[in-house]
Amino acid sequence: MISRSQKIVVWSLVWFSIITLSLPTLVVLGASLTAGNMVAFPPQGLSLQWYEKIALARDLQQAFLRSLIVATIATIVAIPVGTLAGLALSRFQLRFTTAIQVWLMLPFTIPLIGSGIGLMLVFGEWHVLGSLWPVGVACAVINLPFIIWSVSSSAVALDPDLELAAQNCGAGRVQTFLHVTLPAVMPGVITGSLLMFILAMNEFLVSLLLTDARIVTLPVLIYNSIRSIITPDLAAVSVVFIVIALAAIWLLDKLVGLEIFLKSK
Amino acid sequence: MPNPSPDFRYPLRWRLMDGVERLADTLWPRSMSRHTGWLFITPAILLVGLLVLGLIQIGDASLRVLDTATFLPSEDWSLTNYRKALASSTYLTVAWRSLSGAVLVTVLTLILAFPYAYALVRVRKAWIRKALLITLFLPFFIGQVVRAYGWLIILGNSGMVNEALSLVGVAPMRLLFNYGAVVFGLVQYMLPFAVLLLVPALTAIPEETETAAGSLGASWPRILWHVLLPMAKPGLIGAGLVVFTLTLTDFAVPAMLGGGSQDYIANAIYDQFFRTADQGLGSALALMLVAAGSVLVGLVFMVFGAGTLAMGGRK
Repeated sequence: MISRSQKIVVWSLVWFSIITLSLPTLVVLGASLTAGNMVAFPPQGLSLQWYEKIALARDLQQAFLRSLIVATIATIVAIPVGTLAGLALSRFQLRFTTAIQVWLMLPFTIPLIGSGIGLMLVFGEWHVLGSLWPVGVACAVINLPFIIWSVSSSAVALDPDLELAAQNCGAGRVQTFLHVTLPAVMPGVITGSLLMFILAMNEFLVSLLLTDARIVTLPVLIYNSIRSIITPDLAAVSVVFIVIALAAIWLLDKLVGLEIFLKSK
Repeated sequence: MPNPSPDFRYPLRWRLMDGVERLADTLWPRSMSRHTGWLFITPAILLVGLLVLGLIQIGDASLRVLDTATFLPSEDWSLTNYRKALASSTYLTVAWRSLSGAVLVTVLTLILAFPYAYALVRVRKAWIRKALLITLFLPFFIGQVVRAYGWLIILGNSGMVNEALSLVGVAPMRLLFNYGAVVFGLVQYMLPFAVLLLVPALTAIPEETETAAGSLGASWPRILWHVLLPMAKPGLIGAGLVVFTLTLTDFAVPAMLGGGSQDYIANAIYDQFFRTADQGLGSALALMLVAAGSVLVGLVFMVFGAGTLAMGGRK
């Protein structure tokens, strides 16, 4: 950065962003620790009573478990599908690449409400609504481009000669794939699957459309409860999401480094 | 030459791997190797095909009119639902609100995202960069519902801001459930997307180009206008497009921060399905939204190229 005025302009905008980005998180954290029965400012003393309360709430626990299951299914479906697709797009000569790209971008170009309602109709036709796996599959579909992106961008870094060298040394195709190709794209696979897990865990609209009262996931349960009144127990539940998000960021940083997102493309 | 003893065996892993290789050779003979790319891409194509199946179902439902006597969709197809949707002034208002909101949110988000991405790319100290990244990822990973809940606590009628104002003697204001609250909530929601899509484009700009422009006498606003912004165009297009389409079709923020008075198109569609139970009209609206979004994305791609959104890394 060169001049003083530039520094001031850039950093004041950045600070504004930092505050806007962090404020809801901090406020939710604070509200969950309140000793009163209402979310109030200034806070009325500290207590962990709301955590105690949510630890005993069965519907919350089950909704949390369901969200975990949905996220796990989505990740398990998306890892092989997305990894292979990312490799296919970056390592193989395919015809109709543009058409394939457009097709694979559909999860992003079709609005979520459209995807959600479409999947609701399809799964309804197949009579599978009411179980959790369709929700997981739906989350995998709508976030698939993330994992394809991250895999294909780390595949570009792999030297094709390495694969040839492995085969030259007698490795079969499977061995080459497992010992050369896959480790090379591993950062992409890890980034993609972490994103997939966390986005599926948080997925709200598609969950809202594909679940019924018996199988609500945690974000839907929070949404339904917010409508009536704001109480600190919801803040305590939200802290669960904050903790999970922090854990995911920590893992991402440990395994591949957050700086992976700063690469030029 | 010493013969291997008769009970000599290769390690289990080797034999297993040989078996797997042989299996692969039977299932996918080497002569098929040319088509391995297709083998790899097919599962993804099929999975995304689910969405297209869904669109076909929506298309089918949109052509059937709800029979108000039996509450069943009609057997025959007609364009009545589309006519009804286009003629209604309610939907026109909703569409206008979503569109103008999306434009406003896109502009504001890009104004905030650009300096953030710039700071991320240019900042020298590693710990500041990491802190900026964590600040960005935390809300991104927390999800819309929890974030909107945070805003409800802050901006509510007896929320933090109003309580704080009342301490200094200002009467409580209605900060929630209006256009501004929804736009603000959406900007906050979109900011991480925009920054992450801008960063690759800014990383690709060497710092020397700025230094060079500066040494030739350009002030920083001129460098920004004539060097940075043009060079970051692919990123700006990608980020702008994603923010615009996500905003246009958002559901949670208008629902939670708009309190029913600030519905966007997605909320109107949801209401048709789950409040009015008119699947046909809801489907017609949904399909028109999909069409509008796709046309827009297609146009931008045709005019400007895929920007930073291209998959596969080949340029």
